[in-house]
Amino acid sequence: MTGACMSALIARAETRGPEAGFGERIAENQRRVFQIAYSILGNAADAEDVAQEAFLRAYQKFGSLREAEKFRGWVNRIVFRLALNRQRGHRRRLTRDTAWQMTETRAMVDGAKGAEQQVLLERLRREIERLPEKLRSVLQLSLVEEMDAADVGATLGIPAGTVRSRLHTARKLLLEVMK
Amino acid sequence: MKDACEKWKDQLLEAELTEATTKDLEEHLRACTICSRELDAVRARKAQLDELLPLVARGAEPPADFQAHVLAAAEAASGASRARRWRVWTLAGATAAIVALMIGATMYHRAAQRIPEKELAAVQRLAEWRAPSDALLATPGQEILRTMPRLGESYLNVPVKRNEEE
Repeated sequence: MTGACMSALIARAETRGPEAGFGERIAENQRRVFQIAYSILGNAADAEDVAQEAFLRAYQKFGSLREAEKFRGWVNRIVFRLALNRQRGHRRRLTRDTAWQMTETRAMVDGAKGAEQQVLLERLRREIERLPEKLRSVLQLSLVEEMDAADVGATLGIPAGTVRSRLHTARKLLLEVMK
Repeated sequence: MKDACEKWKDQLLEAELTEATTKDLEEHLRACTICSRELDAVRARKAQLDELLPLVARGAEPPADFQAHVLAAAEAASGASRARRWRVWTLAGATAAIVALMIGATMYHRAAQRIPEKELAAVQRLAEWRAPSDALLATPGQEILRTMPRLGESYLNVPVKRNEEE
C-alpha cells in the first residue's frame, strides 16, 4: 500500500460517513491493543492479526462505541479474549513456538548480550505460561503500557485491589522460579 | 540454603518485592551469611525480572501502516456487508413477489372455476328427474315394508281393497 493511498484512507475515515472518527480511535488504541495481543501470543505476526480482528469487530459496533473511554474498554476486552482463544488453539500454538525459535535465532545474530537476554526472555515466557491462569492474565495485562490496575480489572471483570494482589503473587512466584 | 533458613525464604522474597523488611528478618540477616547471600541473589533476580518483564508485552511494535491496513480491511468488509445485505433484500423481494404471484394466480383460478347458476339448476333438475316407467316397477311388498306395524298387528297385514272383494 503506497503512502498516498494510506493517507487517503485515513483522511476518508476521519471525515466521511457514519465511520468518521474511527481512524482516530485506531491511532489512540493501536499500540496498547497490539501489546495486549503480543503479551499473550508472544509473536508479532499473530499479535497483528488479532489486533486487526479486534478493530474490525469494533468497526462493526462503532455506532455504539463512539465515546473514547467506551471504545478503549471494549477493544481491550475483545483483543484479550481473541488472543486467548488463538493461544488455546493447538495449531496456533505450534506456529507460535516456531516464531519464538525464529526470534531467538535473530537475536543470536545481533550479539551475545541480546542472545542471552532473548534466551532468558523465552524462559520467562515459559514460566509465565506455567502460572495459574488467574495470575497469568493479570500479569500479562499489567505489563502493557497505559494499563493500570483499574484498566486490567475492567478488562478481566475484577476489582483493582484483586489485580494488585494477584500481580504481587505472580511476581513472587516468578522471582522464585527464575533462578 | 540450609533447612534452618528455609522458613526465611518467603520473607526474603516479600522483603525484596515490597522493599520493606521486618525487624526479625533484619536481625537474622545480620547473623546469617547464607540468608544474606540469598537476599543478594533474590535482589539480582528481581533486577533481571524488572528488565525482562516489560519486554513480554513491549518487545514488538505494531507496523507503521497498521492503521491504514485496518481501515482498508474495514472498508472492504463494510462493502462486502453492504453487497451481502443488498443480495439478501433482493432475494427476499423476489421471493415475496413470486409468492404473491402464485397466491393471485391460485385465487384467480378458483374464481374462474365457479359453476354458473344456470348450470347448477340444470344439474338439480336432472338429479330430481324420474323415468315414467319407475311407477310400473313398484311392487306391493315395498309399501308394506315402508309402513310400521301397530301394536298387536301383524307385520304382514296385507291391505285388501274392498272393491275387489265385492
